[in-house]
Amino acid sequence: MKFNSQNLHTYRIEPHSSWMPLNLKEIFAFRRLLLIFAIRDVKARYKQTLAGITWVIIQPLLSMLVFTVFFSRWLNISSGDVPYPVFTFAALVPWTYFVHSLTMASNSIVHQQSVISKVYFPRMLLPLASVLGGLIDLFMSLLVLVPLMMYYGYAPGWQILTLPIFILLALLTALGIGLWLSAINVRYHDVSQAMPFVTQIWLFATPVAYPITLVPESIRPLYELNPMTSVVEGFRWALTGDGELPLRMMLISGSIALTFLVTGLYWFRREEVRFADVV
Amino acid sequence: MFEDAVHAVARGITKRTNSDPASSDNVLWALRDIDFHIRHGEIVGLIGHNGAGKSVLLKLLSRITWPTEGYAQIEGKVGSMLEVGAGFHPEFTGRENLYLVGATLGMDISKIRKCFDEIVDFSGIEAMLDTPVKRYSSGMYVRLAFAVAANMEANIMLFDEVIAVGDVEFRKRCLERIRAMSDEGRTVIFVSHNMDTLKDLCPRTIALDHGRIFHDGDTDEILRKLAQPQTTLSPTL
Repeated sequence: MKFNSQNLHTYRIEPHSSWMPLNLKEIFAFRRLLLIFAIRDVKARYKQTLAGITWVIIQPLLSMLVFTVFFSRWLNISSGDVPYPVFTFAALVPWTYFVHSLTMASNSIVHQQSVISKVYFPRMLLPLASVLGGLIDLFMSLLVLVPLMMYYGYAPGWQILTLPIFILLALLTALGIGLWLSAINVRYHDVSQAMPFVTQIWLFATPVAYPITLVPESIRPLYELNPMTSVVEGFRWALTGDGELPLRMMLISGSIALTFLVTGLYWFRREEVRFADVV
Repeated sequence: MFEDAVHAVARGITKRTNSDPASSDNVLWALRDIDFHIRHGEIVGLIGHNGAGKSVLLKLLSRITWPTEGYAQIEGKVGSMLEVGAGFHPEFTGRENLYLVGATLGMDISKIRKCFDEIVDFSGIEAMLDTPVKRYSSGMYVRLAFAVAANMEANIMLFDEVIAVGDVEFRKRCLERIRAMSDEGRTVIFVSHNMDTLKDLCPRTIALDHGRIFHDGDTDEILRKLAQPQTTLSPTL
């Protein structure tokens, strides 16, 4: 068949095979829209609110206060040399980012079904935008750490330069699992229902409110399977210089996060054919 | 073999769906054996009862959904306006949405900036530009949405019954705009339930009935045919 054309790109719409190439080139071509989606998510969240963007800071600050009162004051959990508020806030910053990004990514397709069923763009932009938009919140709450650490007389050392590694690990973990969950959520909206519960259990299974030294040796290997353990421990190390770089755990976490990411990408591509019909 | 200047071709497009997509019971044929070819610069009307498959066909051509069998082949960029306000964020102002929707439809920010005034002019909503669109009337919504979509740089434009909400004066301007698109050599596929609009705008019409092509050809002819009582498109309606 021949098309008479002025060098126009011809594309073909045909039945979708189960396993599709990832087509990351197309994602790159849509990078501007990705950015616009990410900013839209952040802006939209604080429209018609009094506190506006300060909500980003209020949430981890309040969690820190609650944790300090319950875990440090009443339950006497020791955070070693680091003052408990700094200890827990350094963990809450990446944790809040992770939970927020994961939840947003999981709901990204379902919550935007009207766009999904009416406009074409690579569907992967939506979960990607969720984890990228959360970075703005993450940086805002990192700024709160500055006065907090100054108050307790802490100055971060060279270790702070490794912070981007842990941010990236949190991002990849949220994205990998988010890709899986967003695709499953289209078919079974149960995912949206389960998310608050799952993330709450996950919080207790991650050493955010307590040090990992409190965890019995026998179940430590389980803890090492949780990529967020590395992220949280890594953040503490990078910000306060206390403890050691959890290198072995980081390698395990990194491989787990990458496994989720690669399988999540392919699964998402496989499922996205049905999004507009099923969502 | 096709003639030269063929712009879009569909061959044996069939799409099977289920009334409950989560299960595999109740098979429905949204589209069956759709064949057509459309030349550059043609304006083609698309008619049929609710559920005849018009929207599915446009979605398929827009790469939003996929066929079960068959294929379509299209040259160049497709621009679709399948729903009024698709891509709008209700909390955002008209100005913010103008950029958001433009970008969602695949326009460059620089291009949107360049035709910003033109879009605002065409929509006639200047006074509401900094109001969240959730406070817009449906007429204002469609004005802004169409104004943005009209500036898409696409070779083939698909419209799904989108301008019906606007007032008479605005509808007239939309139709002029669509005609202008065709004069520029762009191809237009246009869904409408309004026979006068079809007669006015589209020399050719494709009529769908239960997912099949029931008629493809001269608009006047199909309208004459439909006017006869024995050829209703579907006995149920």
